[in-house]
Amino acid sequence: MEWLNPYHLQVASFVLINAILGVSIYVTLSTGQLSLGNAGFMSVGAYTAALLSTQHQVPIPAGILAGSLLAGAAGILVGIPSLRLSGVYLAIATLGFGEVLRAVLINWESLTGGAVGVAAIPQMGRVILAWARDRGFSPESLGLQSNQFISLTVFLILLLCTILTVAFFLRLSRSRVGRAYTAIRLDESAAAAAGIPITYYKVLAFSQGAMLSGFAGALFAHSTSFVSPGDFTYHRAVEILVFAVFGGSGHIFGPVFGAAFLTVLPEALRPISDYRYILYGILLVLMMVFRPQGVIDPALLRRFRRSGVETSA
Amino acid sequence: MFLEQLINGITLGSIYAIVALGYTLVFGVLDIINMAHGEIFMFGAFVGMLLVSKAGAPLPVAFLGAIVVTAAMGLLLERFALRPLRSRPGASHLASLISTIGVSILLENVAHKIFGSGNHLFETPFAEISFTIGPVTVYLVQVVILLISLLLMVGLALWLSRTRAGKALRATAENLETAGLLGVDTNRMITATVVIASAMGGVAGVLVGMAFNYINNQIGLSMGLKGLAIIIFGGMGSVYGAMAGGLILGLSETFVVAYGSSGYRDAIAFVAIIVILLIRPQGLFGQAPAEARR
Repeated sequence: MEWLNPYHLQVASFVLINAILGVSIYVTLSTGQLSLGNAGFMSVGAYTAALLSTQHQVPIPAGILAGSLLAGAAGILVGIPSLRLSGVYLAIATLGFGEVLRAVLINWESLTGGAVGVAAIPQMGRVILAWARDRGFSPESLGLQSNQFISLTVFLILLLCTILTVAFFLRLSRSRVGRAYTAIRLDESAAAAAGIPITYYKVLAFSQGAMLSGFAGALFAHSTSFVSPGDFTYHRAVEILVFAVFGGSGHIFGPVFGAAFLTVLPEALRPISDYRYILYGILLVLMMVFRPQGVIDPALLRRFRRSGVETSA
Repeated sequence: MFLEQLINGITLGSIYAIVALGYTLVFGVLDIINMAHGEIFMFGAFVGMLLVSKAGAPLPVAFLGAIVVTAAMGLLLERFALRPLRSRPGASHLASLISTIGVSILLENVAHKIFGSGNHLFETPFAEISFTIGPVTVYLVQVVILLISLLLMVGLALWLSRTRAGKALRATAENLETAGLLGVDTNRMITATVVIASAMGGVAGVLVGMAFNYINNQIGLSMGLKGLAIIIFGGMGSVYGAMAGGLILGLSETFVVAYGSSGYRDAIAFVAIIVILLIRPQGLFGQAPAEARR
């Protein structure tokens, strides 16, 4: 089981967390709202989960739930005044929200530990291993070393979370809510004229995206066992947007693909590590020149499905 | 004390205004936010630093060098990252945002590769010269920065309002298609705008080096974000909004640091835009609130 090393598993885990983040911005984008505040919402989830488990010994699942809900509530608070804004204005205002939040995280040292951040957050894999050991289980019985087992557990939990998230929003996109989102994105006035409560659905999409970012943040905190304000900068906000736009924001598989590809690419380019982000930048430009709708769009998926049907028939 | 802080604030604010002008010119004409502007500005600062500190060249040469390099970068940016997107019908308005983000990532990492991540000293020959007027000490550097920024702002305002080329540029900004029909070479006007905006970024880079005495590869990002905040605050595409917004931000940052806490200094810009967007979404000098609802 040489290939199952913690490094590969960690990259895979980051792929999954990033995929959830990609979906989080996709949900808001599917109503035509561009939010760059998802790094901020992510920090709400991450810090809530981290502080609850380190300072109040709250169980990890409860902390993750609390972090997601608090981020969702923050989403409603930011979402309602943001209804007046759109396009670039909304993007910069939400980016501003993230930056203000980060300044608070850095300066409120008594609560957040300031620029140093919160360390020694219980790691999901370790907690589960300790729990299993108490019951007489040893990872060696599966032919795994402890650190392999820990990384694998984290990966599997994240995989489950990602699949559930994608399944939920895939289902949502085919429901009444999803159709309302699409209608609002295509033409807000027409949607309103057709009797769709615009305000409700826009705030709903905004807070769903925020909640999902918070969820990803809480999972991130319990996977890396360390969070600091440096994890939630402008770069993170832009990275999340790029997942969706590069992968394609027309279908939920777009951001998932974007997150996977763009997380693995810099790692795969490690042998030429000095130039990898230079190449990453060039790739983004080329992508927008040759395929501005993103790698995956509904037309591509239809073609896949059709060829799948033909071969099976 | 108060007067000295006032002068500090105006100096800082005039640099902010020049950075913001670079964004606002491009937004006014192309309706896109050039996310690479901060990095182009940073290259201006580095070129100035190399010429002044390493080669020992006089300040005007540093400005000239910075302008040449950043103008060339603007030309390349327009040619390879913006123009190809323009000719594609149906490309989402996010496409140009992402492609300029790509350029900014590229430039940030090229700068990191060449200059490393440490601070570089920017030695201005007359950094120590100051004079005292009554109770106030004024540094010559501040006066020079202020003069250059004023010259640049007045020059730009005159060029836009009085010359034929400025008129063509305003027409292009008003409506690309109509301007084209009326005989304006819009592609050339767009290129000129991006080049001028980038060159202004280069000048601002040298000014920042003079004001702070050191530069590093992070200034592109921090100044870029503030520039973005200023154009939202002043009103997108508004030249006078960018000038006023820059001055207001420079003054409020200086006074908050002087009389309050320095920890929240970098958050001021964003608190300001969140407040202004809620009260007056089109910005201080913005027009046509209906336009904002795109």
